[in-house]
Amino acid sequence: MPYDKPIPDPSPHTRPFWDGARAGKLMLPRCTNCNRVHWYPRLICPYCHAREIEWIEGSGGGRIHTFAVQHRAFGGWATETPFVTAYIDLNEGDRMLTVLRGVDPTKPETIQIGAKVRVEFEPASEDVHIPFWRLA
Amino acid sequence: MPGELSRAAAIVGATEANEIGYPETPKTSLQLHIEAIKNVSDQTGIPISRIDGIFSAGWSSELAEHLGLHPRYIDTTAVGGCSFEMHVHHALAAIHAGIIDVALISHGEAGWSARANKGRGTGGFRGSGDPWSPGAQFSSAYGLSGAPSNYAHAMTRHNYRYGTTPTDFAHIAVVTRQWAMLNPRAIMFSPESNPGGGPISVEDVQKARLIAWPLTLLHCCLVTDYGGAVLVANPEIARSVRTKPVWIAGAGESMSHSNMLEMEDFTATSAAASSATAYKMAGMGPEEMEMAMIYDSFTVTAGITAEMLGLAPRGEGFRLWQNGDAAPGGRLPINTNGGGLSFNHSGMYGMQLLVEAYRQLTGTAEDGVNGLTGKQTSARSCVVNGTGGSLSTTGTLVLVAD
Repeated sequence: MPYDKPIPDPSPHTRPFWDGARAGKLMLPRCTNCNRVHWYPRLICPYCHAREIEWIEGSGGGRIHTFAVQHRAFGGWATETPFVTAYIDLNEGDRMLTVLRGVDPTKPETIQIGAKVRVEFEPASEDVHIPFWRLA
Repeated sequence: MPGELSRAAAIVGATEANEIGYPETPKTSLQLHIEAIKNVSDQTGIPISRIDGIFSAGWSSELAEHLGLHPRYIDTTAVGGCSFEMHVHHALAAIHAGIIDVALISHGEAGWSARANKGRGTGGFRGSGDPWSPGAQFSSAYGLSGAPSNYAHAMTRHNYRYGTTPTDFAHIAVVTRQWAMLNPRAIMFSPESNPGGGPISVEDVQKARLIAWPLTLLHCCLVTDYGGAVLVANPEIARSVRTKPVWIAGAGESMSHSNMLEMEDFTATSAAASSATAYKMAGMGPEEMEMAMIYDSFTVTAGITAEMLGLAPRGEGFRLWQNGDAAPGGRLPINTNGGGLSFNHSGMYGMQLLVEAYRQLTGTAEDGVNGLTGKQTSARSCVVNGTGGSLSTTGTLVLVAD
């Protein structure tokens, strides 16, 4: 079945991330001046305002910062409710949004903030593979 | 000591559109704007032609043209539901600087009628945006569907960090409903005004349908029509018009992020910063506030904001409602109109906050019917805080009665 949920449209600026995703790598922008990783990709470092930013391969690990269970959704997601959305603290720093896998959305009390998660990529199209995170 | 801008201008009038809530005949946002603007001109006796500064969330050039105005100051700041508190801040500065004498701040939003009108007549500000925006590229893939789906993450984190529960926050919905039951203009005034209206219990809130766990439907605001308009004028005009002035003692604004991806602390907002600015300008502190109007898009928004405004310790904002302080007859009335939760919420609710604060501080807030006492309080000072986006942007005002 074709992927029926919203597929991101990579911009030239974020292309290295999506190229990495297609190869199963979590590419992250890091400032070469202050060495901090930021997310989402910037045109200037949001911490030190240098413009020398490189892409590094992240570890693909992180922890749950907070989460919610979506009981109402639209489009392709409507048939997936309930599902768990979560903000993930990356091991490298900063935070990503995801739909969390490997958890029971009907038992939110069993989902632990701080729990370790791993990234995985789902092919949504030939070009775009979307990162999702799964309980490690 | 108050800052230079403190009381440099006053709100001299604040009114609503002729019909708000769920109008039987669908309205457009422009219609709601114009009704409210005409009403505030009639209320104050200030002719529309006297307005020389125009402030709205994205509408200013269209509104000025529609009204045949050629203003000297045009501000169309649109950063969500706190935009109108920011407009008051900006108008205060513009009046103090002598650029303008009379500022119109207007809002019209057919949040309800947009359905019947098939999305037309909203002013076109609800577009899906740029596919290359950070939100579109890094959030839209994950099935979030509007504000509740995002705000729910803040409640979960607050529960984790402070040991609070969704039931704690449910008290906010219960008490806010008590205020709505004193306000016949509130959607949830009574079972007659709406099948879901009338009193609710903490249990009702917790048993309501889940929208985005931990938020049930009754933790979430309404979606209605609203039009509101406010006139801000220099002290000379404020002293001469037939309506009472409400002085802008303090104003401040700030933001912590635009996309929730960038929200550093999910249990805090920039209201800590915007209120610090406003209190400093006013030369007053939270302990001197006799009531509060706090944007309650969700129970969690109100609870966290009360903490940010210094009205309660961190992690304990909900207690103001739980212990009755915020309720009718309580020590610190909060959201005396029945809030976004039970009165009216069109999408961007900051104007409703301003109109109610003006009414309270000018003694014109009575809405008692059927032998009820109404919602008028004796408050002489009010802290007003709007929150926009995904707990992103805030505008705080300290307003005082004449």
